Amino acid sequence: MSRDRFTFIVGGKAGEGIKKAGSSAANFFASMGRHVFQMDDYPSLIRGGHNFVAVSTATREITSHFMKADLVVGLDKRSYEAHRDHVADGGVVVYNSDAVEDGQGIGVAMTSEAQKYPNPGLRVGVSGAAALSAVIGLSVDEMSAFITKEYKRDLENNIPFATDIYRAVGEKAGGKFPLDKGDRERIMMTGNQAIALGAAAAGLDVYLAYPMTPATTVLHYLAAHDRELGVVTMQPESELAVINMALGAAAAGARTAVGTSGGGFALMEEAISLAGMAEVPILTILSARSGPSTGVPTYTEQGDLRFALSPGHGEFARTLASPGTVREAYTLAAELLELAWRFQSPAVLLTEKHLSESRMTLDLDIEDAAWAEPLMHEGGGYKRYLDTEDGVSPLLFPPSDELIQWTSYEHDELGVTTEDAAAIALMHDKRQRKSEAVTDHLRTMRTVNRFGQGDTIIFTYGSTTMSVLEALRVGGIDATVVQPVYLEPFPVWELEEYRDSNAIVVEQSAAGQFESLLAEKARIDAGARIRRYDGRPFEPEELAREIERAAG
Amino acid sequence: MPDELATYAENTWCPGCGNFAILNAMKNVVGKLGERGVAKDRVVMTAGIGCHAKLFDYLALSGFYSLHGRSMATAQGIKLANPDLKVVGFCGDGDAFAEGIAHMMYAAKRNSDITIVVHDNGVYALTTGQRGPTSAHGFKGPSTPRGNTEDPFNPLVLMLEAGATFVARGYVVMVKELADLIVAGVMHEGFSFIQVLQPSVTFTNRYEEYNRTVERLEEPASTFDEALALARETDRLPAGIFYQIEKPANERALYGDWNPVANHPTRTERLAKVKALIK
Ligand SMILES: Cc1ncc(C[n+]2csc(CCOP(=O)(O)OP(=O)(O)O)c2C)c(N)n1
Ligand code: SF4
Ligand SMILES: [Mg+2]
Repeated sequence: MSRDRFTFIVGGKAGEGIKKAGSSAANFFASMGRHVFQMDDYPSLIRGGHNFVAVSTATREITSHFMKADLVVGLDKRSYEAHRDHVADGGVVVYNSDAVEDGQGIGVAMTSEAQKYPNPGLRVGVSGAAALSAVIGLSVDEMSAFITKEYKRDLENNIPFATDIYRAVGEKAGGKFPLDKGDRERIMMTGNQAIALGAAAAGLDVYLAYPMTPATTVLHYLAAHDRELGVVTMQPESELAVINMALGAAAAGARTAVGTSGGGFALMEEAISLAGMAEVPILTILSARSGPSTGVPTYTEQGDLRFALSPGHGEFARTLASPGTVREAYTLAAELLELAWRFQSPAVLLTEKHLSESRMTLDLDIEDAAWAEPLMHEGGGYKRYLDTEDGVSPLLFPPSDELIQWTSYEHDELGVTTEDAAAIALMHDKRQRKSEAVTDHLRTMRTVNRFGQGDTIIFTYGSTTMSVLEALRVGGIDATVVQPVYLEPFPVWELEEYRDSNAIVVEQSAAGQFESLLAEKARIDAGARIRRYDGRPFEPEELAREIERAAG
Repeated sequence: MPDELATYAENTWCPGCGNFAILNAMKNVVGKLGERGVAKDRVVMTAGIGCHAKLFDYLALSGFYSLHGRSMATAQGIKLANPDLKVVGFCGDGDAFAEGIAHMMYAAKRNSDITIVVHDNGVYALTTGQRGPTSAHGFKGPSTPRGNTEDPFNPLVLMLEAGATFVARGYVVMVKELADLIVAGVMHEGFSFIQVLQPSVTFTNRYEEYNRTVERLEEPASTFDEALALARETDRLPAGIFYQIEKPANERALYGDWNPVANHPTRTERLAKVKALIK
C-alpha cells in the first residue's frame, strides 16, 4: 500500500530520546528527497511527562504535521494511550509491551530488549528508527546505515538493539508503507535557525538573550556557531540587561539583535521606548507561547499580537512583521534588521512556538537576504539628531572627533536635553516624519502574501499560514489566502479589495486579535472565524473541515 | 583657554552641589587619559537618570544618556561592541543600588571592562528627596515621613563581594584625588567601581561630617579581607583605592582579540560564512 503522504508519531517520556527519534526520521525522509514537516510537542520539564514528535512527509510541498499517523510508536503507556487514536486508517501502532498490557497493534518488549544492553533508558528511543525502518521496508543494512548516520555513537549496541525491534515489527508490518523517493534533497531547519541565519546574513554582529522558550534556541544556535559566523553572543542577567546592553552595542555601531518571549518582552518595553527616543536600531525576536503570564511555556499561541504592535510608551516609529514559513523567517529576519538600521528604530519579528521550533525542508537562497547598512555622516559638524526631510539623521560611531550624543531625554539636534516648547514639537515632527517614511518605504516592498485562487478569502498570519496552506492542500479546497507579513505599519493599501470579501479569519487566539486588527485598520469585517487556543497548532485535516464549514 | 569639554547646556545644579566637582574632575580625567595614550575620542560615557546624570549634558564627550538604573548595562553594551573604547558610566546611588543593582552586581561578577562612578548622595535628589538605597536608617523624606525603616547598603562591600577587580572611594572635596581615581579606574582592565561621596546641599548636606571623617587611603589593601574590613569602617571613611587585582576582563574572555564593530564583515564575507554553515 503506497501512499504519498506519510506521518510518523513517536511518543514517550522526556529523556528517552523522543526528539532524537523524531528528528532522525525527519532527516531520513529529507535524505530521500522528500518534503518534511516536523512538530515537537513537549512539556516544560526535563524528565518524565509526555513528549511526542509528529513528522509528516510527502513528495510534494508540505507545511504542517498531521495528527493521523501511519505509524505510531509509543515508548511508554502514556504515549500509547495518548496516540492510539491518532492512527490513520490502515496505520500501524507499535507499543512497548513491557509497559502496556493487552494493547492493540504490535507489542514489542522494548524495555526488556533494551535491558540486554548498557544504558537501557537511553536506548529505547532507537526503537522509533527501527520500527520506522521496518514499516517502510528498509533492509537491515539500510536501517544500520540510517542509525549509524543519525546516532553516530554506541553503534555496537544501538544496531543490534534496533535489529531486534526491526525484526519484531517486520514480522507483522514489514514493508507495509514503502515510500517513493522525492525529487531532490533539501536542507531542513527550524524557524529559529532560519531567524538566526537571516539576521546573520543581514550583518548581525551581536546577539543577546536571556533564556525563554520558545526563543531560546536562537541563542543556542548562534552561540554554537558564533566563531563560524563572526557573531558575538552573550546571556546577560535579565531581559532588562539584554535590551539595554543591546542598545549600547547598537549605538557603538554593532548590528545587534535580542530574542525573548512575551514575559521577557514586557520587561524590555521601557528600553524599546528608549530606542524610539534615542533612535537606536534594534531587532527583537519575539516568539510567543501560550499566555498570559508564564502560561504554557512550550505550547503555541498568537495571543501577543496586540502587545507586539505597540511596545513601549510614547509615540515613535515601530515596525512589526511575522513570517509565515521557515523560509520567510530567514528573509524577514534579514529584512527587519535592515529596516531597523535604515530607520534607526526598533523592529520586532513576531513569531510563535509553532514556527520557532518546528522543522521543515526548504529551498533557501542564502543571497535572498537584505543587508543592514546605515546612512553614515561624513565630514564635520555632526548632529546626532539632525532634522532631515524624512526624519532619518545620519549615523556616526566613536571613536570620532565629533560629539555623538544619544539620549533618552527630549533633545535638540545635538542631543542636548531640552524642555523648550518649540524644540519638543520639532523633534516630535521629526519622529513623525520618520514614521511616515517607514510606511512609504513599506509601500515599495512586498508586505502581504497571497496564495491560491478561489472566491473564498481566508485571512491568516504568522505560523498559522502554514496550517492553512496545508489544510487547503489536503482538503482540495480552492481559496485565496491573504497573509499580511507586516503588521505595523499595517499594509492597508494592499487590502482595500478585500473590504467586502466576507473573509474567514484563521488565528490562534481566543480573543480574535487579528480579526479585530483587520476590522480596525483595514475595515475588513470577517464573515467567519476559526480560532484555536489550546496551545496546539491546527491540524490540517480538522482545519480543512472547519474551513469547508465556514465557507458554507 | 576655551574649555573644549564644556557645552552650551544651562547648568541647573544647586550652587555648592557636589556634582560640580565630579564634572571638573572628569575634565581633568580626559586630559590625563590623553597623556596616557587614551585620546578623547576613545573615551565615551553613559549616564543614568537623576541629578548626577545631568553631567552628560555638561560634558562634551560622546556617549549615551540612558535610563534610570541602566547606565551600567548601556556601558557594557558599548564596550562589548567596541572593546577599543574606554567607557565611563555615571550613576546615582538610586541608579546603581536600587533600580540597577542587578546590573552592578553582574558587571562586577563578570568583570566587564568599564568604569562606574556612583555619585552617592544618599538620596533620590532629582525626584525631590526620597530615601535611597544608601540612606541611613531613620532618614526622613517625603516618602518616609516617620523615617526610613531600612538599613543602608554598603556599596563598597557589595562590589567587593560581587567580584569587582577595582574598588575605590572618592570625595568631591578631594577633586585632584578623585580625578586620579577615575584615571586609575579607566586604565584598570576590568570592572572598576568608584563610590564618590557627593553631598547634596539641598537634601543631604554632609560636607562637615565628611570633612571630619574622610581620610586619605594611601595604598590599596593587600588582601581581600583587609579591603572588606576597610570598607566596613564607619567612624572614619577611607578615600582611595581599596582593592585592585588582575583578572581577565569579560569582553576579552568572551572573544579574545575580536572587535565586533571593527571586524564587521562585508556582505560577501558574511554570506560565504552562512553558506558554509548550512552546507
Ligand atoms: C523607571 C524609572 N523610574 C523612576 C524614575 C524617576 N527617577 C528619576 S531619577 C530617580 C532617582 C534618582 O536618584 P539617584 O539615582 O540617586 O540620582 P540623584 O538624583 O540622587 O543624583 C528616579 C526615581 C525614572 N526616571 N525611571
Ligand atoms: S538637589 Fe542635591 S544633588 Fe541635585 S543638584 Fe541640588 S544639590 Fe545637587
Ligand atoms: Mg542619589
